[in-house]
Amino acid sequence: MDMNEIKEIFFQECEEQLAELESGLLKLNDGDRDPETVNAVFRAVHSIKGGAGAFGLDDLVAFAHVFETTLDCVRSNRLEPTQDVLKVMLKSADVLADLTKVARDGGYVDDARSRGLVKELEALANGNVPAAASKAPEPVSVAATAPADDDGFQPIPFSFDAFDDEDDAAKGQTYEISFRPRRELYGKGNEAALLLRDLTRLGEMSIICDTGTLPVLDQMDPEQSYFSWKISLTTEKTQDDIRSVFEFAEWDCDLEVKAAEPASPPEDLPMVPVAFDLSALDDGPFNIEPVQPAVDEAVAADVEATDVATGIANMAAAAARVEKKEAASAAATATVAAQNAAATSTAGQTIRVDLDRVDRLINLVGELVINQAMLSQSVIENDASGTSAVNMGLEELQQLTREIQDSVMAIRAQPVKPVFQRMSRIVREVADMVGKSIRLVTEGENTEVDKTVIDKLAEPLTHMIRNAVDHGIETPEKRLAAGKDPEGTIKLTAKHRSGRILIELVDDGAGINRERVRQKAIDNELIAPDSNLSDEEIDNLIFAPGFSTADKISDISGRGVGMDVVKRSIQALGGRISISSKPGHGSVFTMSLPLTLAVLDGMVVTVAGQTLVVPLTAIVETLQPEAAAIHSFGSNQRLISIRNSFCPLVDVGRILNFRATQANPVEGVALLVESEGGGQRALMVDAIQGQRQVVIKSLEANYTHVPGIAAATILGDGRVALILDVDAVVGASRGQSLKAEMSLAATG
Amino acid sequence: MASKKAAQKSLKLASVLDLNEASALHGKLMELRGGNIKIDASEVERLGVQSAQVLVAGAQAWNADTKIFAIENASGAFEKTMQLIGIDPNLLVAKEI
Repeated sequence: MDMNEIKEIFFQECEEQLAELESGLLKLNDGDRDPETVNAVFRAVHSIKGGAGAFGLDDLVAFAHVFETTLDCVRSNRLEPTQDVLKVMLKSADVLADLTKVARDGGYVDDARSRGLVKELEALANGNVPAAASKAPEPVSVAATAPADDDGFQPIPFSFDAFDDEDDAAKGQTYEISFRPRRELYGKGNEAALLLRDLTRLGEMSIICDTGTLPVLDQMDPEQSYFSWKISLTTEKTQDDIRSVFEFAEWDCDLEVKAAEPASPPEDLPMVPVAFDLSALDDGPFNIEPVQPAVDEAVAADVEATDVATGIANMAAAAARVEKKEAASAAATATVAAQNAAATSTAGQTIRVDLDRVDRLINLVGELVINQAMLSQSVIENDASGTSAVNMGLEELQQLTREIQDSVMAIRAQPVKPVFQRMSRIVREVADMVGKSIRLVTEGENTEVDKTVIDKLAEPLTHMIRNAVDHGIETPEKRLAAGKDPEGTIKLTAKHRSGRILIELVDDGAGINRERVRQKAIDNELIAPDSNLSDEEIDNLIFAPGFSTADKISDISGRGVGMDVVKRSIQALGGRISISSKPGHGSVFTMSLPLTLAVLDGMVVTVAGQTLVVPLTAIVETLQPEAAAIHSFGSNQRLISIRNSFCPLVDVGRILNFRATQANPVEGVALLVESEGGGQRALMVDAIQGQRQVVIKSLEANYTHVPGIAAATILGDGRVALILDVDAVVGASRGQSLKAEMSLAATG
Repeated sequence: MASKKAAQKSLKLASVLDLNEASALHGKLMELRGGNIKIDASEVERLGVQSAQVLVAGAQAWNADTKIFAIENASGAFEKTMQLIGIDPNLLVAKEI
């Protein structure tokens, strides 16, 4: 594994850390005060900084450092994470993400913004330091009153029991450590202070510095080592763990570690525990020479050796999740071999796999499914009874294929959380730009959907969020005047429904101004002036191409032409979008998307000589209509009576223009379907061929979008069959007053 | 009090006081020897032990000279490192005799 691969892993980990960071900050913003949340946020920034330092990403390191320092103030309760503080931190998280992106892909960051935030962070850190930790602003000009030796110095003991220590080892064995660094230790880039800091992380520590060998100023060699320490460390760690702190410095210092008598603390170390936090020392470029040949490149990045090595080690451990052997070798180059071993041992839980490999597998499984279907078909044709051993074997094969396919699909399934998190940034930024106060509430972030869907969802969702912030939510003044909370709320939810994922974007804004939408549609000749449209139909006009109600063009949502683009993007994913709005109370955008773009359980039917596939998830039941159950009204509308209720009957062949006149319902089969809108329709088809799983082939990618058709597939006999877009057909059946092309698009 | 009115020199510590800076700091202190000195530690982000040694030696020297050696506006990192390595930063002050 070369450095570039490790770097790539670092960036992948950065994405996770950034997500963790944002998630934690949002929790804090919602009032969560769990110390672990604060720690997780701190760790995320710290990890990014550590890794960035290893690769010489100075801008990233510098910003992360300031950010981390301020977070440390929160962590140590010196800074209350108020809404204002968190606002700065959320913005800082955004900048950190930008810096990471630039470090990875090149480009530029907004320097002014970054510098401004650095100042804000520093101000937060400085302004909230408690008296105990902060120095008085006036110069200290009076000698300390503590007993001093002839030179005015008295070695003082310190205890570090208030440290934020992940190990929290307050109990255990006490060790007496004598540490006397030699000149070479510093010369090789190690820093005694950092080694001492690492020691504090092992447990409760007290320290005495021996300054006795320090010569007078005129005679001292500034590069010589004079200080030495006697340390008392109480820890649950082993002596080896303690020695491992000095792993790379052991040859350049005199080190003695011995267990003390448990009952009697060392008499010569009269400790006065002092609550103390050292996290500000967790960082920093001590200029150092390469320590380990294997990490030369990293060390050149001007970062302390331990962080470099730990960073490399962590990344190597991450790599171990995929390639254990390589990781083991990489781990050997890092300082914390023991930690690596632990990381490697737990590496079985997750693996990081190149997406291309998964996609190739999915394609192959798709072909396998088609092939298996073709094989089954030929066998059935030659074995009408279906009892031959081959036929039975094929059924088992079919089941196995199905399981394989489901399992492969599950690999691609990802929670929508990352996309939702991105939206919170959009809300923050846009709300700031337009001077509104808006809260984004998310629900169901762990709902899983195919990665392709997630990737393609971000763009339309971003557009919708921007629109909601810019146009949907009113200004605080208007909201107050309307008796609303001046802070607007946008709610983004995801849930599974009927084998699809349903994403809702709800705002509590002013809602759609239907009068204006209608007038605009008439002006743009989208509808006839005398059209009699329902509220829902008017609302859905905003998805028409070129439609805009914005009085002025804004930088944020432009001319308002975006909603048709949004709709097309969603359609390209095999999804649908609709809106419902309540004037004065806000709007609800509902997107229904397939869970996967690869396979579908469908009912294969015949319509006017064509073979179509109807998604099984949409079908409630099938029935053979009887003449007595069919009722006609109007010119060509028909209803079917099902268990004492009436349901509109829709001739699929007619809607899709497969035939010029409506077919006789009694000669066909009715599929009772439920659309996303909740209404039921009976879709008339000529015959049912059977049920099967089909591999979805995109029409958009291979041909073009066809209204009423969601996608295509290849059947067992090799023929291409179209997959019906049930909602689009249902929508078309009721949107007769709209123009032909709109009739399918507006509600589909 | 007379000596307080004497010329007071000031020195602003670099943000990173590492091995290289220790020598530079030593040189600067040597140059400033003889009068009261006010050391601004507000910018210090990193303090290495060798620079700390120089500062301690400096404080001792000023103490021997009976001049003021005052550290002001010590940054959090400065104080913490001093405490970490077992030096009370408050003791880094020479009293005027």
